[in-house]
Order: sequence, then C-alpha cells, then structure tokens
Amino acid sequence: MASVRLRGIEKRYGDNLVIKGIDLDIEDGQFVVFVGPSGCGKSTLLRMIAGLEDISSGTLELDGKVCNGVEPAKRGIAMVFQSYALYPHMTVAENMGFALKLAKVPQAEIGERVRRAADALQIGHLLERKPKALSGGQRQRVAIGRAIVRKPEVFLFDEPLSNLDAALRAQTRVELAHLHRELGSTMIYVTHDQVEAMTLGQKIVVFNGGRIEQVGTPLELYERPANLFVAGFLGSPRMNVIPVTLAGEEGDAAVVRLPDGSTAAVAAGAGRLAPGAALRLGLRPEHLRLASTGFGATVGLVEYLGDVTLVHVQVPGVDGMLAVKVYSGGPAPASGSRVALAFDPARAYLFDESGAALSSTTAHAAAL
Amino acid sequence: MNMSSAHKSNLGWSAVGAVCAIVLALLWAAPLLWALSTALRPELETVSADFHWLPQAWTLDAFRKTLAAGNLLRWLFNSALVALSVTVVTMAISLMAAYAFSQLRFRGKGILFALAMLAFLLPFEALLVPLFRTMNQLGMINSYAGIVLPQVVSPVVIYVFKQFFDEIPADFREAAVMDGAGPLRVLWSVYLPISGNIVWAMAIVTFIAAWNNFLWPFIIVTSTDMMTIPLGLTQTYDAFGVRYAQLMAAALLGAFPVALAYILFQKKVTQGFLAASGLK
Amino acid sequence: MQRAESSIAAATGSPRREGLPALLLLAPFLAAFILFFLVPAFETFWLSLTESSLTRTNGFVGLANYATLVQDPSFWDALGNTFYFALLTVIPLTAIGLLMAMLVNHFVRAQGWLQGVFFLPFVLPISVMTLIADWMLQPSSGVINHILGGQRPWLADPSWALPAVAIGTVWWTVGFNMLLFLAGLRNIPAEQYEAAALDGASGWTLFRHITWPALRPVTTTALILQLIASLKVFGQTYILTSGGPFNTTRVTLHYMYETAFTQSDAGYAAAIAMAFVAVVILLSLLQAWLVRYLARRDA
Repeated sequence: MASVRLRGIEKRYGDNLVIKGIDLDIEDGQFVVFVGPSGCGKSTLLRMIAGLEDISSGTLELDGKVCNGVEPAKRGIAMVFQSYALYPHMTVAENMGFALKLAKVPQAEIGERVRRAADALQIGHLLERKPKALSGGQRQRVAIGRAIVRKPEVFLFDEPLSNLDAALRAQTRVELAHLHRELGSTMIYVTHDQVEAMTLGQKIVVFNGGRIEQVGTPLELYERPANLFVAGFLGSPRMNVIPVTLAGEEGDAAVVRLPDGSTAAVAAGAGRLAPGAALRLGLRPEHLRLASTGFGATVGLVEYLGDVTLVHVQVPGVDGMLAVKVYSGGPAPASGSRVALAFDPARAYLFDESGAALSSTTAHAAAL
Repeated sequence: MNMSSAHKSNLGWSAVGAVCAIVLALLWAAPLLWALSTALRPELETVSADFHWLPQAWTLDAFRKTLAAGNLLRWLFNSALVALSVTVVTMAISLMAAYAFSQLRFRGKGILFALAMLAFLLPFEALLVPLFRTMNQLGMINSYAGIVLPQVVSPVVIYVFKQFFDEIPADFREAAVMDGAGPLRVLWSVYLPISGNIVWAMAIVTFIAAWNNFLWPFIIVTSTDMMTIPLGLTQTYDAFGVRYAQLMAAALLGAFPVALAYILFQKKVTQGFLAASGLK
Repeated sequence: MQRAESSIAAATGSPRREGLPALLLLAPFLAAFILFFLVPAFETFWLSLTESSLTRTNGFVGLANYATLVQDPSFWDALGNTFYFALLTVIPLTAIGLLMAMLVNHFVRAQGWLQGVFFLPFVLPISVMTLIADWMLQPSSGVINHILGGQRPWLADPSWALPAVAIGTVWWTVGFNMLLFLAGLRNIPAEQYEAAALDGASGWTLFRHITWPALRPVTTTALILQLIASLKVFGQTYILTSGGPFNTTRVTLHYMYETAFTQSDAGYAAAIAMAFVAVVILLSLLQAWLVRYLARRDA
C-alpha cells in the first residue's frame, strides 16, 4: 500500500508561514494533481513529501508510517524534476542506474532494469549517449526512466512538461496517463497548467496561498467549485463574474438583481442571506447565450478560433469584458452591436462576499 | 574606393598599434632569447670584449656542465615533488571545504567562511617568524612536509570553487539526494565531474605558484640538497662561480617545467589566474 | 518559486543532519588553517608584544617594540624604499598592462602568441628573473650596457639599483595586469563601440569616452593589487642586491627578515610584521571601497 497522508502540515521560513496547515489523503494508485498559481506552495509541498524540504510541523505518513525526518532515498519515492536534472557527465544508462548503484544492487540486475525501463519509454537506443546529445523530449523520458527504474511506491512530478513545446506536451500528457495505467503506482503531479490538471488528474488539489482551496475530481471541481478562486482557476476562458444583489427567492431558486436592474433566477439556495445581500454571479462562457431577450451587452472583440468563436462583450455595471462561447453555426455578431445575454439558471453559480459558493439546488448537483 | 575619415583614422591607429605590438613583443621576448643565446655559447665568449647577439660557436656545453654539477637535477626533483604535493593536497582539501561551504547547511557556516576568507587580508609574509618557530617545534625544519604544509592553505582556491559550486543548479544535488547519495557521494560523483575545467585551471595555477614559491622555502630550507629550484638557482653563483653561460643554462632549465606547463595549458592558466583574482 | 536559501533553511531545517558530513569535509582544511594560519597569526601579534628570539620567548614588554619601531630610522628608510619601489612599478605596470591588453584584444589572429609572450615571464620563478636581470645588467659584459654604452654598474649604484630592480619586476609581472585588463575589455559590450562608430567616433575618442570609463573598476583593482604586491617585494631585492648598496634596496620585508633571522629578534620582527599588515589591510579595504563606490556612481 503506497498511500500518502498529510496531517496539519505547515512550513515556515523564519517568521513566514508559507504552508498553512494541509490535510490530505492520497490513496494507493491514485494520480493526484497539485495545481495552483505560482507561489501557492504546491512545489514546496511536493518537496516536503520528497524529503528535500523539512516539515515545520505536522505529520507525513507514507504507507502508514510517519516519515517526517526520513531521508529521501529511504521513503520509497522517486522524483522527476522540472529541469530533469540529468547528470551531464554520465550516459543515459548511468543516469538511470545511479540510484541502484548507490543502493548496491548487483550490476547485472541494474543493467536489466535499466534496459527494461528504457525499452518501455522507447529510449533503448540512447543508452550510451550523454544528456547534451538528446532532445528535450528524450531527456524528459530519461528523467522518467530514472524514476521508474527505482520501482518507487510514489512518483513525484514537478512540472515535468513545462520545458516542452506545445505539441510535445500534448503527446507526453497522453503517455504519462498511459504510464500510470501500466504501473498503477501512486503519482503526485505538480503543475500550474489547468489543462494538464484536468486531463491527468483522478483527483485534483487546488492550492492558493499555502492553503488547499478544494479537493475533488476534475468533474467535481469544474461543475461544483467551492469558491470563486477554484471557479476562476479552472476553465478557459475564465468564468465570468458579475456583481449582483439578492432580490429574493422563487421556490428552489434564488433571484438576483443584475447591474442593469433586471432580475434572473439562479438554481442556488440563498440560505440565511437577506435580500439586498451583495453576491457574485458566476457564468462560464459556454453557459452564456446570445438570445433575443436577456440582459443587455455591447459586443467588443470577436475571436474566431475555428470550432468556437469567443465573443467578448461589455456589460454596463461590470468591470472588464465577459466572454461568451458561440459554437459554429451560431450567430457571430459584429463588433459594436448590441446583444442580449441569457443563461440557464441551473448552470449559474452564486458566490457570497467571502467568495464561498452558495449550495446548488439542482437535481444535477444532487447527483454529484 | 572612398574611405570615411573614421575608417582612415582607424587604419592609422591599426598601423601604430601593429608597430607597438611588434616592439613590445620583441622587448618582452628579448631577455629570454638573450639568455638562450648566452647559454648556447662557450663560456669565454660570454665575457669577451667582442659582442655578438648570436653565438659565434654554438655549443650545448653549458647545459651539460650545469646538469653534471649535480644539484640542479636534485632541485628539479624537489620542486616537482613539492609542487605536485602542494597541488594535490590543496585541491583535495579545498574541494571538500568549498563543497561544505557551498552546499551543506550547518551552524556557524557564515562565520567559518568569513574567517577563512580573512586569510586574504593577512599576507603570508607576516606569518614567517611564528611559522618558523612552529616548524622548529614540530621538527619539520628542512623537510618536505615543512615546505609543503603551509602552502596548502589557500582561501583563494576555496573561494573560486565555492563560487563555482554555487552556480551549479541545485537540481543535480537534489536528484542525487533522491537517488540516495550522501554529501560525500554527491561531491565525488556529481560536483567534481561537472567542475572538471575549473579544477584543472586551479590545479595548474597552484602548481605554478608552488613551483615558483621562493619566500617560504627560503625560510624553511637550510641545506642545499633540500632546495627547490627558485632557491637552488640563487646558489648557482656558489656552484658555478661567475660563469654566465652556465648560469643562463641553469635559469632556463629551472624555468622549463613551468614554461612548458604554460605553453601547453595557456587557456587554463589564464582562466585560473583570472578566477583567482576575483574576476571572470 | 522560492527555494530555501541556506541561511533561511538553517533556521527551519535540521542542521544536525548535515553537521557531521560538513565537519568531515572541513576538517583537513580547518586543521591546516588553524595550524598554519590562525595560530601563527595570533602568535605574530603576541610576539610583537614580547622580547623574543627565534627559539625562546622572553618577557612581555607591552608596546615597547612599537615604540622602538616608530623611532627606528632603518624601519622608515625601509618603508620609504618600499613605497619608492611601489611608485616605480605601479604606474608602468598599469599603463603597459593596459596597452598590452588593448593590443592583444585588437590583433585577434596573433592573440595566442602575443598574449603568450607578454604573460610567459609571469609564470617563471623569481630566481630565473634575477639571474637573467643580473646577467643583463653586468657592467662590462651585460647587454644593457652594450646597447646604452658605458660601464655603469647598475646594481651597485645607489641611485640606480632600485629602479633597475623595478624595471626587471615590470618585465616579470606585467602579464598579470594584462590579463586583468583583458578581462575588463572583453566585458565591454560590443554595442557600445558600434553605437559610437555610428556616431562617427574613432580612435582616441573611443578610448576616452567608452574604453577608459568602462575600465575604471578594473583599473582600480589592478592599481591596488599592484600596490599591495609591490609592498610585498622581497625576493628580487634580496637576491639581486642583498638590500644594498648601502641599504638603498632594503625593503620592509627584508628588514623584517634581517631582524628575525640575522639579529634573532623575533619580537621586534613581529612588530614590523604587524605594521606591515596594517598597511596592507588598509589598502585592501580602500580598494574594496573604491570599487564599490565607482560601481554605485556609474550605475
């Protein structure tokens, strides 16, 4: 069992508390993604799990055993660095076999394991080359191979795709997913790219400012964000946010007043909030429609992307532009024209002043 | 062809520069060339009233006599032994210390490093007397150990290595730590190979400095057979009397190893001296 | 993404974990450092306050040695000789070094050779320089007198001995200054010259307005390093002239050596050493300060 348990993990640099109390459970075999903006602490946390940084307080359990002070090599963990960190003076084979050599594994077995890992990653023909003779993608495979060879309980990935070009990134993403299916090991993957998070993660942990904002599957995080931060972080273009006030309730739904004075229904519970309370309405670009009736907006920029067109509109009373996704076949209005926007109440979100989401009242949400 | 005035002026400067360069180069090469010319002529010719730039009678006599005089070879051996020992020991202890200062975390690191660098400020010359007394008490006067040991303390070398190690991305060390390497292992298997160039540069520079060290051997050596080349060459007047061909032959033979080292490793020597002076 | 600075991490990490390997790695250096630097350094200080011979330490005499030092004409003479020597060498070394660097920088194809010729003397042992210098300066058979005419015994002439040694020293050590200036020249971005050329500048103007200002920190460094090195002169004057004729080439360190090893007065010699160190430290600090001042001013 290669489970990972974090309880009350904190990290201090001098007087500065950068990781502010993390509780997290990762089951054996899960592919977990740590995602968040730069400086949020996700890499620091990864390095604490690896043993490269000390844990100021809290406990880290690997496989049920506390290993706060245990040396990295003895934790059953292998890490793939963002820069790959391949030893420049060693061949690919030596790079991959270094850890085994240090562990005094017999030479024959080292050769065997290195060859098998190299073949699996299709770099078997590169074993005698030095890192500087390899392309970025090849180096990355060597870095992964170096980790595989050690047969670790947990794989750690620190932004492994950020040094690759877009095409290679997409391809490698698929291969990583494949690798996880093959090996079935626990994998913790750090990235700032939400696309990688959504596509690779079985479980996503969203970090911000040293705290966990939300943990869940990609679906849960995308469709039921717990707060404004998560809502805005996942999804591209970002979720549109409109300041509204609570007008009242109508059965299951809350009614909000938009900046232009009109009202709209949202399938969320107002809870104990009184009418007049300041709220924020969240609408993903794909959930906004150009309709015949709705609240008014002026078209600003229109971006044609092939399969979808992004229409950026200006709504009175709202800072910044809202984005509307219009799929091919739909009308693409001219810049400067006036349009009306409508949305499905079940696809809208409400957030209170602190940014927390109001609970959804749709059957859809109940099913999640 | 129409040249701009700036272009013309540049050509003018180039010509002046070329003349300057040739004159300076000749001036600078002259002493050694003249020494060579002197060494290749018979002794009588060196003091004859009839002056010639080139030998009238070419002969290797001076070299032969100098080598046969016995001590020169012994001095060359001493210098080689001392210089090699100093180089090897200095490199070893400096690499280890520089690695500790650069990559390890421990209490008092800052103070210790500042203390070591303090040695920059205090010139070796000021320590001659107490060092002599210490060596006397340790019974190391006129011994190889006595000559070598004080020379292995080199804050300059440590500083250069530490700067270099600081520049190596921490990822390599961390990857090695993840692979299970202890601090010594990381130094040996990762940092050392990566630092190949700079280690060679500092090694050659240390070798040259140790070979050329005059002051300390001068203080610590008391018998002719323990002398290093710089010392020994000052004894040549006693050995040969005032025989300039032989003296020049001795000088050239004594200079040969370090001159060769420079010619073979010009780039490294340059790199090493520049690093040691704190510039890149 | 912050990586822990070692000093910050030390506050939070466990220094104990790396303390032992650090100690092992540092032990050889520390042992040598303590034995052959720290202890002698303190001993020099201590000795200067005592009356001692080379082998025995006698009584504590407080600042008596220093009092003697201040009034000792031989010391001030020696110090004067040292500074005179410095004056004779520092300016030529800097000027010629700069000239050489510019030539080497300019004539790229001959660079290896040119640099080699200028720098080779620097790697030679001192006694090679002194042997050749002595030979060239011989009154009757020396090549210098053959060129200049006359039979002047340079090294035996009180007015010429030190300058002669200085010239020999310039030949011997200018290569190092050349290296410093070369590095400095190579650090000047080519764009500055290109922009100036487009503005129509050339030759002397280029030098005055681009090269020289950019070289100020290097020049300062070179000047002071040279000054300190000149103050440490010993070998050349000892070997070539034994401090003579009439002590005109007896420099500070030579005086210290004589006091310690000929007169066996270790205490007084230590006092000379301390005075010497004080001057060197002052100059080193001056250099560091000047360079930083210039950097700030030009920033």
